[in-house]
Amino acid sequence: MNALNIAYKDLMMLLKDRGQLITLFLVPIGFILAFSAAFAAGQELEAQVIAVPVVNLDPGGEMSTLLLQQLNDDRGLQTEDYDQAQAAADLSDETIKLVLTIPSGFSADVQAGKQTTLRLAYGPAASDSEVQAVRLVVDGIASDLSLETQLVGGLSQMGAMMGDAPAEVRVFTAERIATQAESQFERAKTTPLVALSAKWPDQITQGREDFNPSSFGVAGFAIMFAFLSAQTTAASIFEERKEGTFRRLLAAPLGKWELLAGKMLPNFFLAILQMVIIVAASLVLLPLVGQQAPTLGNSPLGLALVTILVALCSTSLGILLGALCRTESQVGGISSVFLWIAGMVGGAFIPAFVLGDFLNAIGKVVPHYWAMQAYNDLMLRGGGVGDILLELGVLAGFAAVFFAIGLRRLRFA
Amino acid sequence: MSEPILISQDLKKSFGEIEAVKGISLQVARGEVFGLLGPNGAGKTTTISMLTGLLEPSGGQITVDGLDLKSHTNEVKAKMGLVPQEMALYMSLSARQNLMFFGRIYGLKGKELRQRVDEVLEMTGLTDRADDPVGDYSGGMKRRVNIGAGLLHKPQLLFLDEPTVGVDPQSRNAIFESVEALNRAGMSVIYTTHYMEEAQRLCQRVAIVDEGRIIAQDTPTALIRSLGGGVVLLGVSASAPEDLAERIAQVPAVKSATRSDTYPAGSTGGQLKIETQRLQEALMQTLDITNQLDVRITSLEILEPNLESVFLHLTGKKLRQ
Ligand SMILES: Nc1ncnc2c1ncn2[C@@H]1O[C@H](COP(=O)(O)OP(=O)(O)OP(=O)(O)O)[C@@H](O)[C@H]1O
Ligand SMILES: [Mg+2]
Repeated sequence: MNALNIAYKDLMMLLKDRGQLITLFLVPIGFILAFSAAFAAGQELEAQVIAVPVVNLDPGGEMSTLLLQQLNDDRGLQTEDYDQAQAAADLSDETIKLVLTIPSGFSADVQAGKQTTLRLAYGPAASDSEVQAVRLVVDGIASDLSLETQLVGGLSQMGAMMGDAPAEVRVFTAERIATQAESQFERAKTTPLVALSAKWPDQITQGREDFNPSSFGVAGFAIMFAFLSAQTTAASIFEERKEGTFRRLLAAPLGKWELLAGKMLPNFFLAILQMVIIVAASLVLLPLVGQQAPTLGNSPLGLALVTILVALCSTSLGILLGALCRTESQVGGISSVFLWIAGMVGGAFIPAFVLGDFLNAIGKVVPHYWAMQAYNDLMLRGGGVGDILLELGVLAGFAAVFFAIGLRRLRFA
Repeated sequence: MSEPILISQDLKKSFGEIEAVKGISLQVARGEVFGLLGPNGAGKTTTISMLTGLLEPSGGQITVDGLDLKSHTNEVKAKMGLVPQEMALYMSLSARQNLMFFGRIYGLKGKELRQRVDEVLEMTGLTDRADDPVGDYSGGMKRRVNIGAGLLHKPQLLFLDEPTVGVDPQSRNAIFESVEALNRAGMSVIYTTHYMEEAQRLCQRVAIVDEGRIIAQDTPTALIRSLGGGVVLLGVSASAPEDLAERIAQVPAVKSATRSDTYPAGSTGGQLKIETQRLQEALMQTLDITNQLDVRITSLEILEPNLESVFLHLTGKKLRQ
């Protein structure tokens, strides 16, 4: 009962604090709109089509036709037919940057289960990222083809890809290989093709097909701001200590637990409300500004569980910050910076798979990462509660640890 | 005499190395205003914090209205009210909202709560401003809300921790009057201050605290009588003879004379503290001696017998500089 009295009092104080309300509710929505606009602009850039000259020595073949069709289906690539001599000439005088060669008998070989080689030759004019992009797409499609047809093959080792390039070009590209992705290439020489091509395309296709930037952005910001609101709890504990009202509360016939619960309740509900409002506003507002609405997946229960655990985690973090912070600037600025960084490395802004292995590994120490994984599983990949048990467990663990340390460190008087 | 409302036995508190309270034993009778007097850092607030159950003592026992604080914490807390030294209020909330909140925390509700809040607002003279944020109040008004918030649940025992610090004389008087009125209505009060005249006016009994210990405990009158007479602080130039204090101590009217080099700070000479039962006689005889010895007098201060001089007598220190 007294917990409710305290919670009610805190809410009343919060409602009088306009700045706090704006931070809690309007700022996140503004961020989402800005972010999705920026992301859409980024996507347009990315949508620039890379022209891929193709020398098809297996014209009319079933598999080569399928391959070309799939290459063109990919939004980023556009194949153009070239004749072999012309392609070699254009490549050496740099009028084209790269050439993909489909060997004669490609369809027959693939269908017969024989190893066959697609050759990607490129000249000095090709940028690393173009080569990489084409290589990844071809890899992916080729491996899909081979998987589909239950055949080994498709692409050969990367070294072999160089076969058709003019000698002077070859030297140049060899350097490039060395600096660019040596280890990948080394592995390509020794590892069976399917294994190699299955590695890269998986991520690319997952990234491309499932990536709804709105869902990602909305989940990320919901998490980011839910955790930032831990500062509300921390600040109110700090304030009570500073103003001495804690002394009054402690002199009152009131349990420590009631006091703590009273401090936690408002933030817990606010964090939930905040996340609900962020998602609801995104569903309504993003389509209005011409952006994709987020997809919510198909597990309301899963979403509810993650949201509740994120709110709980943020609230306990608030207790912890409130217990540890000794100055106003620790409560405000310093924990802000800390929480933003946690959001960054936790993948709340940038997809974890883009951050790279190192940051990804670091990200796992912050609850944001696990919350993000859980939301992604639910919203992007359509998973259910069963798919996020680990994440739920880890979030609950974070909440328990934050709370336990906070309780220990909180000096009441 | 009925059982005391509060008994504390050998109360102790250490903060790491600092022994803030070194064994305080006191008894507060029902219906009494009891003063805790002491200079800054004496341990008054720490003692009050332990007595009100918000700080765990390092040792000792506290009994309120016959109940042990430790084993009946919430029951005992409900009998007590605390007015903290600092302005312990929510500045963004109005006086009424603050009072409603603290009233609820003490278990008041509904009509009774609203009625008590109105009464307290009336008593503190804040009815007109009741719905303005406390942050906009003057210092004196905040003080009054601060006191009001400790009274809502009609505690049997009220703790007031230096309630008049930073208050203008008029508000201070209003505070005295309300304390007296509450006391007449039967409330026991523990009042801490370092203003001796406040203790002298309000308190039926006082404990003088210094460095975490009670060094005297009695009615103000008895304490003053025990000292008797008055105290003369005599500043003398550095050229005064070493044995001046001893010579003055020989004077029949002088009870004791000691050399204290600590007061006033920065003086070149020494200062003698002369205690006497017969002030005028002692003063004249002392001046005879200094004239004979040709000692130059640099300052002369006569302390009327009051709690201030009792404190000086007991500790050799002034309460405030
Ligand atoms: N939480 C604490 N941690 C460490 N030391 C403390 C703490 N609280 C009080 N002290 C120390 O205990 C001693 C007594 O402090 P206390 O506040 O009880 O004095 P006081 O008599 O109320 O003084 P004042 O008249 O200035 O209010 C001081 O030396 C103080 O520094
Ligand atoms: Mg104090």
